[in-house]
Amino acid sequence: MTYFPEEVVEHIVDFLGSHGDRNAVSTVCKAWYQVDRLSRRSVFVGNCYAIRPERVVTRFPEMKSLTVKGKPHFADFNLVPYDWGGFAQPWIEAAARGCPGLEELRLKRMVVTDDDLELLARSFPNFKSLVLVSCEGFSTDGLAAIATYCRGLRELDLQENEVEDHGRQWLSCFPDSCTSLVSLNFACLKGEVNASALERLVARCPNLKGLKLNHSISVESLNKILARAPHLVDLGTGSFTIDNRSETYHRLINAFFKCKSLRSLSGFWDASPFCLQAVYPICTNLTVLNLSYAPAIQSADLTKLIGLCFKLQKLWVLDCIGDKGLVVVASTCKELQELRVFPSDIYGTGITAVTEEGLVAISSGCPNLNSLLYFCYQMTNSALTTVAKNCPHFTRFRLCILEPEKPDPVTNQPLDEGFGAIVRSCKNLRRLSVSGLLTDQVFLYIGMYAEHLEMLSIAFAGDSDKGMVYVLNGCKNLRKLEIRDCPFGDAALLKDVAKYETMRSLWMSSCDVTLGGCKALAAKMPRLNVEIINENDGTSESKENLSDLQKVEKMYFYRTVAGPRNDAPDFVWTL
Amino acid sequence: MSTTETGNSSTTESAVSGLDYEETQLTLAASGASRSELERKRGFSEGVDLSLETKDFLSGSSDEAPISGAGEPSAAKAQVVGWPPVRSFRRNVLKSCTYVKVAVDGTPYLRKVDLEAHAGYQQLLTALEEMFSCFTARNYPNERLVDPVNGTEYVPTYEDKDGDWMLIGDVPWKVRSSSNFTGNIKGFGSHVEAINKEELEGAISTIHGKHHSTENNLDVCRFMQTASLMKSSEAVDLAPRTPTGCITAR
Repeated sequence: MTYFPEEVVEHIVDFLGSHGDRNAVSTVCKAWYQVDRLSRRSVFVGNCYAIRPERVVTRFPEMKSLTVKGKPHFADFNLVPYDWGGFAQPWIEAAARGCPGLEELRLKRMVVTDDDLELLARSFPNFKSLVLVSCEGFSTDGLAAIATYCRGLRELDLQENEVEDHGRQWLSCFPDSCTSLVSLNFACLKGEVNASALERLVARCPNLKGLKLNHSISVESLNKILARAPHLVDLGTGSFTIDNRSETYHRLINAFFKCKSLRSLSGFWDASPFCLQAVYPICTNLTVLNLSYAPAIQSADLTKLIGLCFKLQKLWVLDCIGDKGLVVVASTCKELQELRVFPSDIYGTGITAVTEEGLVAISSGCPNLNSLLYFCYQMTNSALTTVAKNCPHFTRFRLCILEPEKPDPVTNQPLDEGFGAIVRSCKNLRRLSVSGLLTDQVFLYIGMYAEHLEMLSIAFAGDSDKGMVYVLNGCKNLRKLEIRDCPFGDAALLKDVAKYETMRSLWMSSCDVTLGGCKALAAKMPRLNVEIINENDGTSESKENLSDLQKVEKMYFYRTVAGPRNDAPDFVWTL
Repeated sequence: MSTTETGNSSTTESAVSGLDYEETQLTLAASGASRSELERKRGFSEGVDLSLETKDFLSGSSDEAPISGAGEPSAAKAQVVGWPPVRSFRRNVLKSCTYVKVAVDGTPYLRKVDLEAHAGYQQLLTALEEMFSCFTARNYPNERLVDPVNGTEYVPTYEDKDGDWMLIGDVPWKVRSSSNFTGNIKGFGSHVEAINKEELEGAISTIHGKHHSTENNLDVCRFMQTASLMKSSEAVDLAPRTPTGCITAR
């Protein structure tokens, strides 16, 4: 290959899609490194603190798409304090300086300010796509800047962000000349949005395929939008409450009837049961259905709807669907690949209508299932074994039994054997979350069998350090490990520190690791940033007084070539 | 038409003269679950189980705060941080479902209380005390449905998906709650904000309901879809309407 001119190598390398493959190419030799770096169009940075933004921009000057992730996953569950970090600013600034051809930016769990969004909007003349997932720190003013200055914007996708509401006028900032939108998602916005501006925007964007509304958009407005954009493929409804005897309701049914291209439905804010009937005309075409924000809809109505959706591939529901409802899913949705069952009664008694029976039914009816997130009241080893046998294609398996440390209710045993069956059977498992009563044994199984596992989440499990060691020894492809409330301590942490350079990050909270253990780790591994998050007291005096024997409440470490970060708040202590 | 179906009380056999406060245990529990079951379920964190003795409240010694949760003084932490692992965005959307059912042994129907509406345990317990001392629809004490023929009073109740009889009116009409009515009460437009006597009577007359006779044939119970009216006199048999020391409902 070294005799080929660069253009040929580049042409060949272009066929490589995955980041992993291209990264591998770049390590072969200097020539190939150069070819890759100048031809790389899409760059993925899994941890914003692993490398400095300037280095990325310098290395890949021709990049068109940049993805950056910030906070650790457990930040989703309020385990990471608000101002821990993950700032988008240095990334946008560096890209603005070194990569003006940037077209697409995707940020996840990062802090993005209005100033950042304005800089973004003004710096990249070809900017086409902004995707923000679980971000915070900006307001509708930032969105106004994007709308105003991004000529030719194709995609604005806001997924579950915390956005401050500064008024409804941001949408009106899309100029009349903006006709390029393909996808617009503002479902997470809390405030009112200018409905008539939206209707006009939709009317002038003939390529619009995806539109996800927030709860402020009424059904009357939805009717007008659907009338202008019957070619929508992906729709998130606005508020879905209407009187079923009204003219609006009948217009809605007719509007849906005309949406022949609709494949994906979500939203349903405030949905009441009879409104679902308006959707019946298009059910048979749906491949994606998200009803997980509609708590008022009970099992009977859910199943009437889902019973028509026999092409469904992805279903997100609340546990009000119940085991009986899942049986209907199993018998209808033969092509189901992804199922998520969320808890509806988060603050209540934790008693739900979903148990192992629902999962077993799904597994026997839907053999193509490869991705699962399942919140349930209980689980048995026998059920998990059956599921493992029925569905060997799982790549993502996340089970959350609502009550921590709950054993198999039939045998009163831990769920080690059940999860063992899953990892043995599902040879392509990449992501796993375990729950229920679990001993070290389950981790032995995971270490032995989960060869391709990349991400593992553990809570309230295990008996001793052995559990964690089994995992670290066994899972060769492990990238992210997050642990909370488990009896794993310094011995496990320090057993094989070299392993950590093969991983992106490790989170441990409410475990048995001590300050001394963390210090030892930091001393041995200079290319890890070992962060201690101590919310109670961040002053330097208290840091002096802390004994090495003291248990650390939250520890997060990650490999990095950037050295310790300079934006850490007081309560974060990098060892 | 039978009385309470909570399954953990033998109300018809209990003393007619009054609530036996000594034995009344106020528990926050899903209906149908006995207390011992509840304690087993919460084994991992003893602080979650919450059981109270009502007698201490009704005698006015509220500063003794008899929260005898089976465990630490930090029993006030009823939730483990970050558990269940659900994103804040989703939690906030489902936030309005913070109503829990409250059962009191010896009462004919259950009540719903919004955990979010109270700043702390003290306020919650005060609200519960009010709820269970007077057996009328909490927000509408003056709106009593009276049978003009024989003067018997009615309170509106409904049977929810768990088979429990719940007093109407605890959950605001517009709240999107997952466990309210099993069916819609037809005749109510979605703009109705409150249920008062006139609307109730109006609704009854416009919907297709059943007339249901009780054993003595003089009383008439009317059903509204999944809701039914229970004679408040039956409730009175089980507990005094205004026991001494009781705070009347607002």
